[in-house]
Amino acid sequence: MSWLVPIPIVLPLLGAALSILVGRSRPAQRVVGIGVLAVLVVVSIVLLVQVDSHGTIVSDAGGWPGPLGITLVADRFAALLLLVAEVTLLVVLVYAIGEPGAERNHVGFQSAYLVLAAGVAASFLTGDLFNLFVSFEMMLTASYVLLTLGGRAEQVRSGMTYIVISLLASTLFVMALALLYSATGTVNMADLALRMGELPPGVRTAFAVLLLVVFGIKAAIFPLFFWLPDSYPTAPSPITAIFAGLLTKVGVYAIIRTQLLLFPPDSRPATLLLVLAAATMVIGVLGAIAQDDIRRILSFTIISQIGYMVMGLAFFTVAGIAAVVFSIVHHIVVKTSLFLVGGLVEHASGSNRLSRIGGMVRTAPLLAAMFLACALGLAGIPPFSGFISKLGLIEAGIADRQYAVIAVALAVSLLTLFSMMRIWMGAFWSPREDDAPPAPEPTAARSPILMLVPTAVLVACSLGIAVAAGPIYSLSERTAHDLVDRDAYVEAVLGR
Amino acid sequence: MIFLLVAFAVFGLALISSGARLGRGAFLVGAVPAVAAAVWVAAQLGAVTSGDAATAHVTWVAPLGLSIDLRLDGFAATMSVIIALVGVAVFVYASRYFPRDAADLGRLAGLLTLFAGSMLGLVQADNVLFLYTCWELTSVTSFLLIGNRHTEPRARAAALHALLVTGAGGLALLAGFVVLGREAGTFSLSAILAAPPSGTAVTAAIALIIVGALTKSAQYPFHAWLPGAMAAPTPVSAYLHSATMVTAGVFLVGRLAPSFADVVVWRPMILTAGCCTLVFGGLRALRQHDLKLLLAFGTVSQLGLLMILFGVGTPASVTAGWELLVAHAAFKAALFMVVGIVDHQTGTRDLRKIPALGPSWNGVRAVALLAVVSMAGVPLGAGFIAKELAYDALADGSFAGSSLVLAVAVAGSMLTVAYAARFYWGGFVHPNRRAADDTAAEPPAAPSWVMLAPPALLAVAGVVLGVAPWLLDHLATASLAGFRAGAKPVHLALWHGFNLPLALSALTLAGGALVFAADRWLRPWLALGSRVPSGGDVYLAALRGLGRTSSRVTGVVQNGSLPVYAGVIILTAAALPAAALLSDWYWPGWPAFGAGREAPIVGVLLIAATGAALARQRFSAALFLGVAGYAMAGLFIFSGAPDLALTQVTVETLSTVVFVLVLRRLPERFERQSSPGRRAVRLAIAGAVALTVFGFSLITAGVRITPPVSEQMVERALPDGHGHNVVNVILVDFRGFDTLGEITVLAVASLGAVALARVGRRAGSERGEVQPAAIGPRRLPFVDVSVRIVFPAVVLMSLWLLFAGHNRPGGGFVGGLLAGSAITLRYIAGGISEVRGRSRFRPWTVLGAGLLLAVGTAVAPLLAGGPVLDASLASFELPIIGAVKVGSTLVFDAGVYLVVLGMVLMAFEAFGDPPAEAAS
Amino acid sequence: MTVMLAATAAALFGIGTYLLLQRKLSRIIIGLGLLTHGANILLITAGRRGDPPLIGEGRVEGFADPMPQALALTAIVITFGVTSLLLALAYRSWLLTNDDEVQDDLADRAVGDSDVVEEEVADQQQVIAREEAP
Repeated sequence: MSWLVPIPIVLPLLGAALSILVGRSRPAQRVVGIGVLAVLVVVSIVLLVQVDSHGTIVSDAGGWPGPLGITLVADRFAALLLLVAEVTLLVVLVYAIGEPGAERNHVGFQSAYLVLAAGVAASFLTGDLFNLFVSFEMMLTASYVLLTLGGRAEQVRSGMTYIVISLLASTLFVMALALLYSATGTVNMADLALRMGELPPGVRTAFAVLLLVVFGIKAAIFPLFFWLPDSYPTAPSPITAIFAGLLTKVGVYAIIRTQLLLFPPDSRPATLLLVLAAATMVIGVLGAIAQDDIRRILSFTIISQIGYMVMGLAFFTVAGIAAVVFSIVHHIVVKTSLFLVGGLVEHASGSNRLSRIGGMVRTAPLLAAMFLACALGLAGIPPFSGFISKLGLIEAGIADRQYAVIAVALAVSLLTLFSMMRIWMGAFWSPREDDAPPAPEPTAARSPILMLVPTAVLVACSLGIAVAAGPIYSLSERTAHDLVDRDAYVEAVLGR
Repeated sequence: MIFLLVAFAVFGLALISSGARLGRGAFLVGAVPAVAAAVWVAAQLGAVTSGDAATAHVTWVAPLGLSIDLRLDGFAATMSVIIALVGVAVFVYASRYFPRDAADLGRLAGLLTLFAGSMLGLVQADNVLFLYTCWELTSVTSFLLIGNRHTEPRARAAALHALLVTGAGGLALLAGFVVLGREAGTFSLSAILAAPPSGTAVTAAIALIIVGALTKSAQYPFHAWLPGAMAAPTPVSAYLHSATMVTAGVFLVGRLAPSFADVVVWRPMILTAGCCTLVFGGLRALRQHDLKLLLAFGTVSQLGLLMILFGVGTPASVTAGWELLVAHAAFKAALFMVVGIVDHQTGTRDLRKIPALGPSWNGVRAVALLAVVSMAGVPLGAGFIAKELAYDALADGSFAGSSLVLAVAVAGSMLTVAYAARFYWGGFVHPNRRAADDTAAEPPAAPSWVMLAPPALLAVAGVVLGVAPWLLDHLATASLAGFRAGAKPVHLALWHGFNLPLALSALTLAGGALVFAADRWLRPWLALGSRVPSGGDVYLAALRGLGRTSSRVTGVVQNGSLPVYAGVIILTAAALPAAALLSDWYWPGWPAFGAGREAPIVGVLLIAATGAALARQRFSAALFLGVAGYAMAGLFIFSGAPDLALTQVTVETLSTVVFVLVLRRLPERFERQSSPGRRAVRLAIAGAVALTVFGFSLITAGVRITPPVSEQMVERALPDGHGHNVVNVILVDFRGFDTLGEITVLAVASLGAVALARVGRRAGSERGEVQPAAIGPRRLPFVDVSVRIVFPAVVLMSLWLLFAGHNRPGGGFVGGLLAGSAITLRYIAGGISEVRGRSRFRPWTVLGAGLLLAVGTAVAPLLAGGPVLDASLASFELPIIGAVKVGSTLVFDAGVYLVVLGMVLMAFEAFGDPPAEAAS
Repeated sequence: MTVMLAATAAALFGIGTYLLLQRKLSRIIIGLGLLTHGANILLITAGRRGDPPLIGEGRVEGFADPMPQALALTAIVITFGVTSLLLALAYRSWLLTNDDEVQDDLADRAVGDSDVVEEEVADQQQVIAREEAP
């Protein structure tokens, strides 16, 4: 099945090229975009099933075995996240088509979106650190374009922040790669894992923290997250949704992959990670509480949630990592749906400032229900998926005797609940303010079906994750076992 | 029994989604699962009392030990009966309480049904994690029910208060459960109780669990949310906030008591909280004028007594608590409904405003009286039995400080008698007295019997149990099964002979009556009692503090300034690795200094860099950057990297051109120099970064042991890669996948650039149509001519680079850039129009075609069953260039060439127009 | 790797950082450019430096390590693409504001001295006030 592995990367690129060529015809572009992503959903399902039953699949680009060429590696971790990512991408694309805005006004949208998809897939699948850099750049460049489409003033400002910070991160990444090659003479991850042992411990740890910083910027952990709340909220809502759900998780993926694969246990910065995790959780949720704008609240809660994932990784136990894997899956889906619902709220009420909107539990009960489900899920209230991930993290932490950080995590989850309920009360319960902007006409306020259906589908997915939590969590555990078993990965890639 | 819960869920959700059209009937529909539950539990009672509990099991998340285990033993059955029966009563009552045309009745009924389901799950759960799940579900449903009148700020605030306090307690509970389960090695409640673990961790866990229980059962200091919760409609209060949800904490304590009552923190925590709650609640109740609030504080106080009884944890005290639990559910729910009736018929609940209630109200009055009798613990009420048992259990001195607790219990019960009297007097006796002098007001209408029946039944039940308490003997005995040792069959009786409890009961009644009678004189003293700082103020302070802190912290951390962000990030990036290196220092020794032929170039490079930093004019800064770029190219030459040098030169040329194209729009000089302080900070950060890079690079240069992978590449480049130029072979073959990504980046970047530069200029411009030729700068004939001569040569040169690249320095990328520079020449000569004249195709097409070509060569091998980007070969002769091996790699390179060319064209599309046009 | 080149790379990183921490986008871009130069020096010095790796011309033993060259080339091109996008942004910013200064995020500035939880607090005060019997 190894021919399947590159498909999620090359197919969207093909699609991107096509939709550049058919730039004049919007329908053609849409067919290409949706078609490609629909195929990819199927492909990634097959891939996940294959990998889960027959083990890691390796595909050598150009037929050159690693470390000579670039190897693409589909293990459980990559395949699982790939599936979630493709589903989310497809749903959001439909939503974007349904929404008046980004997609309709810009010929570049579809191609950039597909390149984004390719970049995300490549980041998950590549087994080569330099190729990971290239994949990141594909993803990011596409995201720059999507973020600044339309070129409104605040988009330009936030675009500057976002691009400059990302460029800085990329330069640091190149620097790290240069130093790594200088020290080991390879950039193939499996090969690096082998050769890392030859380095002096101090140098190893230095590399570990350097890569942590490089990916920490993308993953938005403290103190590297500042760019996120300033840039995400300004994009069109589907773009914000996909960024919020997916891009930060790619950073988290890279952190987990590199920390666990490249570095032997003795050079992992566990304590540093714990401290950063706690700080990220707290600062993030405080930021969420301080905001009045729905999108900004949601953006800050992304950060605190990332803190949870870093915490789970910092335990460096199978239990902790399993919990993180599950949290990533849960969070991609729930966070994206929250932003989609937020977009619908904005569309229906004409604003996204809590102080100006309200009363939507009457005017839009369906939105209210969907929001409540996701919000409670995000805050980790049972029986929603967030509870499972929270429970997993707590059990892992207590098993690891990390009581302090667990206490912080619990407190933060309460504050998260508070921030979510502020949206609930502000947008859905409290009556509409008098100085509020005139609500759109009922006809206009009614959510377009193409926006409503995808949102509902994604919310259903998040509920599905809770119902099927058993199998999914077992899969997460198997994934965690893969991740801690460095030798197996190396064996699969290099055959030694 | 799973199906029962499912039924509740289904009914609840169905009612929420589509119950609106049923109107008040929704409540009758909602009563269906409650009735079913009642019937089912009743059917089970025989088995339960004979000691074999019904169980059910569904796995949910096995790895985490989270499964849906249900177990219906005596205690669970008792609670289930209460939940089901009170539930039915409330639903029937509610179906008349709300006005016909009230909004959202479907939602209300649905939420009530969901609540009833989760409450049943809570009491029947045999897996602590599932218990927690139901626990939180009750909190959430309660939140939504309290906030039912969500347009009132008070309702919202009360709902939030309840949610946050019980939620916080819930988290403590969860942590406690996880620790407990970990110590016990199982999350099954019955297993944990059967073999209770011990140790420090367990003690901590129990403390956490107790905190959870205290918040849920509104114990001091967390009690403040319960009175606020009275913002909910009265039927809701009658159900959640008197009979069922608030007793969850008590229930949990009762569950754990047999196994954990001797844990060191148990009695101190629970008894202290319980005693305070009992007394303060009673005192507060005595000061209320709103009958509902009076009952609310009464509930708080009664919960305190319950907490004490279950907390003591002896068989006797638990029996007493059990009896009180049942009695309390009956009379308190009944009283709430009575208040609801009064409110419903007279429009007020203030015992100073309630009008005279005519003889038609005797029914209501009777119901109220029966319930009050039970509440006050007057003989013949179930409350009396409970109180006798309580006094008896507390008097046996089975634990430290029992006598003190007994005293408090008596005092608290006096207050109970007092506020019970205040309730009945103020609500049903005094108004008629008052009515004597104003005959004008005609008495309000009596309620319909449907509304009166539920409280009546409950009140009567209370009396029946008061007169014939032995009816519950078996159930009580079964409920005490938790005590494996020393639990003898319970016998409940009305008359125990003349003994201490009886004396204390008499004392209580007398004292209570006294307190009520002397209310006027005692008031100031009682007021003192209610001055104790309440949890409400703490909550308020916490809320305020949270608001302030979050704003301040966020204001500082997220200050919105890019330089700060970048500074923090790059400093972190420098400091962390530096720290790691220093903490475990390794120094491979200095390499050669390496001056010599490179020195001059390095000099130029550094001077140019410094110049770029110091330049006051944008233009000169850009030029300095360009110089630095060319110096880099020179450095590459000396490093044996001709391809790199070529690329660097062409890239530098292009980016300088683009830079200049943009800069000509921007103001000439950098104004607004920043303060020296800021500059010092910048310098410091810069220094730190430089130092780290210096040290890190020298160390890494010295540590390599294994030879680099590239040695194999050099070996295999010609035989397997069919190219002499190893770098190019790497680019298009070994690591062709990188190049694929690279040109994708170029393509997307240029899309974005054009979109940005052209947006909102002319309609349709985003569709990338070729714009009508714009007026270029003034044309200089000789430049024009020379360009026309040079142009074809350059284009040819670029093609040659493309074909030759695989063997000699060059390649598609450099070729494309060279072609681009040719276009640049045309632009310099003739402006944008000239460029557009040159490119027969739309830039988009060139770009797309190039990408398609490159990706195509990557995908093609897949169709042939080979790996992606697999190289294949065909060789033939070409005129000028000679023997050419046309590999798929060449096609790939051609794609690269086209993408780069397209990008250059698009760059001119984007920035090529004269500013005047752009600004419009 | 030689001490001089390490120092050069370090210096470029330093100067680049200094420029990066400013408000004018064009300066920031120049700073990023210098950072990239520094990173590229690190790249080519990460492997052996020597004769151009052209098979048939010169001894294989004397070849410069081709791998870092290829990586550097890719990095250069990518940075070029992204930088031109950033320039487009500067251009756009000029169209909108006649300057390329990176403004602060005003929403962030506003947060510091606002308190959005006030409303909840005020409502809560009502609740408490009501329970205090007159």
